[in-house]
Amino acid sequence: MNVLLDVKNIDVGYGFLQVLWEVSFTIETGEYVCLIGPNGAGKSTTLKSIMGLLAPKKGDILFKGEPIAGLSGNKVCQKGIGYISEGANLFTGMTVRENLLMGAYTVGNRKQLKENLDFVFTLFPRLKEREKQLAGTMSGGERKMLAIGRGMMATPSLLLVDEPSLGLAPLVTNDVFKALDVLREKGVTLLLVEQNAVKALKVTNRGYVLEKGKIVLHEKSLDLAKNDHVKTVFLGV
Amino acid sequence: MVPVHRFRSMLYGALANIRSAAGITITLTIIIAILGAIDKGSYIIVNTIVTGGMWAIMAMGLALLFGVMNVANFAHGEFFMVGALAAYFIMTFSGQYVAAHPGTWVAGAAPFLGIFGATIVGSLFGAVCEVLVFRQLRKRSREQWVMNVFILTLGISVILTNGHQLLFGTGYKGIVKYLDLPSISIFQTLISSDRIFVFLLGMAAIIVFWLFMKFSKTGRAIRAVSQDETGALMVGIDLNRIQILTLAISSALAAFSGASLLFMFPAYPTMGMAPLYNSWFVVIVVGMGNVGAAVIGGFIVALFQILTTVYFGEGWGFVVPSALIILILVIKPSGIFGSSVRGVLEQ
Repeated sequence: MNVLLDVKNIDVGYGFLQVLWEVSFTIETGEYVCLIGPNGAGKSTTLKSIMGLLAPKKGDILFKGEPIAGLSGNKVCQKGIGYISEGANLFTGMTVRENLLMGAYTVGNRKQLKENLDFVFTLFPRLKEREKQLAGTMSGGERKMLAIGRGMMATPSLLLVDEPSLGLAPLVTNDVFKALDVLREKGVTLLLVEQNAVKALKVTNRGYVLEKGKIVLHEKSLDLAKNDHVKTVFLGV
Repeated sequence: MVPVHRFRSMLYGALANIRSAAGITITLTIIIAILGAIDKGSYIIVNTIVTGGMWAIMAMGLALLFGVMNVANFAHGEFFMVGALAAYFIMTFSGQYVAAHPGTWVAGAAPFLGIFGATIVGSLFGAVCEVLVFRQLRKRSREQWVMNVFILTLGISVILTNGHQLLFGTGYKGIVKYLDLPSISIFQTLISSDRIFVFLLGMAAIIVFWLFMKFSKTGRAIRAVSQDETGALMVGIDLNRIQILTLAISSALAAFSGASLLFMFPAYPTMGMAPLYNSWFVVIVVGMGNVGAAVIGGFIVALFQILTTVYFGEGWGFVVPSALIILILVIKPSGIFGSSVRGVLEQ
């Protein structure tokens, strides 16, 4: 078990507004880790700073031992990190197929590209059905699936998933989480950000709790689910 | 051979498209062009096609820049001027070279050297603007972006027009013709070989541009950036590279138009004003950021300008397009071809 992602004491903010204070956590290869917390805690900001969409003002981020803090998003993508953002950030004027092909922008090998495309279509048969449909005209659940599919096209080692269940019907949410499990079987390490703490703690190994920009708890998911603080704040018990 | 039922559905699809606002506009334009030609002579159609082609290319460049980088470029006419000026110098120098060394390949290649050389010079100017101007603004602040960038482009315009005047004076710098070939008669109209040459080059440029944007990896990357910048970063697209490239392509298109029309419009410092207004007319009328429609819009605006000049006189040349813009902004501000799904090539 070696450390894949090491976030060390990062301070992140937007302009004068500081959002994260000395946030630290590690993820080992093959793990399924969740980052839970209330609305506005800074969970998305954390993912954005790992992905290079936001540069930390202080601290380091190491991926496979290499420092990546402050690198631009495209360079972080090339290193092997995929990001499934909350808003999906799909190319709305392109078809499902074109979006997936764009996901493989950094893939040079045509054989690998075809393999990845076939994998995504097996994972999400609905995407294959709507191959030629414009991404901008798809439903919420389909967009999430397309976002995940596109994220997988570059064969990432680490996938950052931001609120995959947001705005989705329970059945669709189940499909999405089942798909994430399949990715795990493929060997992808997952960092899951979720407001739905129940679901997140059920599927993941470990969890970090982020409140008001600070990590307040860090336990195995099973233990977090039994934790009193977590129970009152998130699970409404 | 297309099977019958396929042909029928294609026909119905075409008819449905025609019934849309875009289709009505195109059909109306073609009808008006034909009526105008019947009334005043076929040079109406010839001039529309040649000038329209160039306005189309200018508008394509402008729409591309706005669609991809949200830059409302009011120096676009100056890139047209840079192209005309560069072509003038290349043609003058090659003319002198040919006079000193008659019978060399330069004589035949000069028009191509002139136009393509000017296009390259124009693209370099554009790339420099991106690195020295737009990138610096981006580093400092994204707030009020459209307004700030627009003001910066006004500054670029001032620098380029006055630079021209300072270095080369206010005089007209033109060439008599590009090609030493006789005029051709088509439909009882005598069309100069230059006009045909430039029209063919223009059509080739539009096709090459379209193929590049639709099928090349870089072209798709540019379209991706125009649709979702964050998404583009997430899939590994280098934004800096795409931004320089977009500027280079946009200014190259303008310079290409300026160089191509040098035989009709000589170069002088403020020559960029008319092409600037024309390309903005087109872009506003068809819908900002829609590159595909800008091509069609170029012909539409050219036609209306030519008809206005022919029926009402030279001074009215800007009145009809301006009136069109007021109408469009009041009735359908997103433009005739505007749509809700974003993207530079998509409609």
